[in-house]
Amino acid sequence: MSEEILVLIEHRGGKARAISWEAIGFGQKLAGLLNREMAVVLLGHEVDALAAEMTQRCGQAVLVASSPQLESYTPEAYCAVLSQLVCQRSPWLLLLGHTYQAIDFAPRLAAMLGRGLIPNCVDFRWDGTQLTFVRQVFNGKLNLEVGFKGSPPHLVSLQQGAFSAYDVQSASNPKLVHVDAALTPEVLKRKVLGILKTAQGQVDLTQADIIVAGGRGLANKEKFQIILDLAQVLGAGVGASRPVTDGGWLPKEHQIGSSGQTVAPKLYIACGISGAIQHLVGMSNSGCIVAINKDPNAPIFSIADYGIVGDVFKVVPVLIEAAKEIRK
Amino acid sequence: MQILVCLKQVPDKDSRYKIDSAGTGIDEEDLVFETNESDQYALEEGLRLREKFGGEVVLLSLGGERVLKSIKNGLAMGADRALHLTGSEFQGSDASVVASAIRRAMATEAFDLVLTGVQSDDLGFGQTGTILAELLGWVHATIVVEIDIQPETRTVRVKRELESNLFEQVEIPLPAVLAIQSGINQPRYATLKGIMQAKKKEIKTLTPAILGMQPGDLGSTGSRVDHRRLFFPEKRKQTVMIEGEPEEAAKRLVEKLRKEARVL
Ligand SMILES: Cc1cc2nc3c(=O)[nH]c(=O)nc-3n(C[C@H](O)[C@H](O)[C@H](O)COP(=O)(O)OP(=O)(O)OC[C@H]3O[C@@H](n4cnc5c(N)ncnc54)[C@H](O)[C@@H]3O)c2cc1C
Ligand SMILES: Nc1ncnc2c1ncn2[C@@H]1O[C@H](COP(=O)(O)O)[C@@H](O)[C@H]1O
Repeated sequence: MSEEILVLIEHRGGKARAISWEAIGFGQKLAGLLNREMAVVLLGHEVDALAAEMTQRCGQAVLVASSPQLESYTPEAYCAVLSQLVCQRSPWLLLLGHTYQAIDFAPRLAAMLGRGLIPNCVDFRWDGTQLTFVRQVFNGKLNLEVGFKGSPPHLVSLQQGAFSAYDVQSASNPKLVHVDAALTPEVLKRKVLGILKTAQGQVDLTQADIIVAGGRGLANKEKFQIILDLAQVLGAGVGASRPVTDGGWLPKEHQIGSSGQTVAPKLYIACGISGAIQHLVGMSNSGCIVAINKDPNAPIFSIADYGIVGDVFKVVPVLIEAAKEIRK
Repeated sequence: MQILVCLKQVPDKDSRYKIDSAGTGIDEEDLVFETNESDQYALEEGLRLREKFGGEVVLLSLGGERVLKSIKNGLAMGADRALHLTGSEFQGSDASVVASAIRRAMATEAFDLVLTGVQSDDLGFGQTGTILAELLGWVHATIVVEIDIQPETRTVRVKRELESNLFEQVEIPLPAVLAIQSGINQPRYATLKGIMQAKKKEIKTLTPAILGMQPGDLGSTGSRVDHRRLFFPEKRKQTVMIEGEPEEAAKRLVEKLRKEARVL
């Protein structure tokens, strides 16, 4: 039985995504703790330049599966190639970033292999004999410690940013290995018609010094007006959580989070936003975070610098007046 | 078009939780439950497709007595009938168990499309629909924000959400499993007429025995991951909580943002 840890790389435009470097760093950390081998897996077409860069930077074995059919991502091709690879090498653990791509294929791969997938992990515990992972559940209000069951390979996906503390080390075993990427035509069941970007409009919040953001706690489109008012007196940009743009209270371009914009203003004021992980990944690097929420247990408070537990409809109007005072 | 819509019932968003005595689940006693957010969008999408192409919308929910509320609400919104998968043995099941139960419940039916939500707001596996697709041998698409069915070619074009305001357009064959993202539509409300009509609609109860599932396949025993301990998260930052009446708190906040944080 193999002891190997495999880390799957996700890349865009010839570059590995930041989450993949985090996964490599963490994979190396685990390999050290558990005294196991580690290798990096790269799927794509004509990715030798990236593979060479990866071998150099992490000094690790890089397994490359290359095929024209892997040029653009499809879950069928990824599952077919990865399940073959896993059957050949029988690794102990497959680590992935919890990206939208992983959301799309990893559960299917796990099912093909008859294994479980521990998704979206934010932390891990190693007590010398047992390895467990920590996930956020119930919209971030609770954490759940999850362990493996059954025999390897185990599959784990890592939340973006959660494992960034483990820097990539330059190991001493760089080698580039081409692995089989044979695909039968019947595997390819879908046509990828294209990738598009939404009309970004005029809303670029990445340059704003201050962002005032509102969430479902604002109740409806009419009441959301107080967020626009506060933003105006502060000369701030207006951000929103998903339910606000889903409900059409604001155009989609205002959404902050994994599906929307990633921002890091000097000041981020989150009003009536609970702090789900998909929102936090878009704003947690802000300089100073203020949270106003009626629920003292809302997860947004866990990353806030200043917090007010209270009703936005009572607090925000006073803030508007106080802000007007200092603007004079 | 025969459409199966999966509805999971989850605790209301504003719930305050207590951990149960086993330490792996929540105390359900004082909680209010609702239909999972993205599932509400999946149901609306199913109803619109039926209005366009005919056929039936069948609901499926796995859970105890309480999920009948979500089922009845879905029937009142316009679904035709429902499958209720229930039995205490299901408690503690992971996504792979739920997916295999759904597959078994589909065995005597002929669906063209299964619609699920992207993920459940309680345990958030984000896996049930995708595993189900694998078990059925069907194609799947996740994080779907637009559906365009071509009945002549039995294909469906979907728009999928990617990160950072990007989208992907793909065409896949039917039958398929689609995991629907919130915001794809604006779900309707149940009307009084709908509520009255729902009373006559069929809700079929399917127990593990009827589905041909053994106790060993179910609950935590049948699951592929091991839920060990539920706990309240540690705080990541030292938050300065500003107390007092709203009036006073808001003023003090502005003070602090100016003098302490120097961001105003
Ligand atoms: C694949 C995927 C992608 C996603 N992408 C994004 C994304 O890009 N951005 C994003 O934001 N979300 C995203 N989400 C959704 C995310 O999971 C959450 O559902 C969402 O962020 C919740 O928004 P919210 O905090 O406004 O609403 P809720 O979670 O409902 O929180 C509302 C908050 O308002 C508080 N509140 C209510 N009334 C008041 C009041 N009067 N005064 C003060 N406080 C009040 C409540 O206590 C609660 O904390 C995504 C989800 C998935 C599955
Ligand atoms: N117990 C259940 N009953 C009905 N549908 C479910 C159940 N669990 C999961 N689903 C469906 O699968 C989707 C994804 O759930 P999950 O994999 O738990 O995140 C949900 O949005 C539902 O549509």
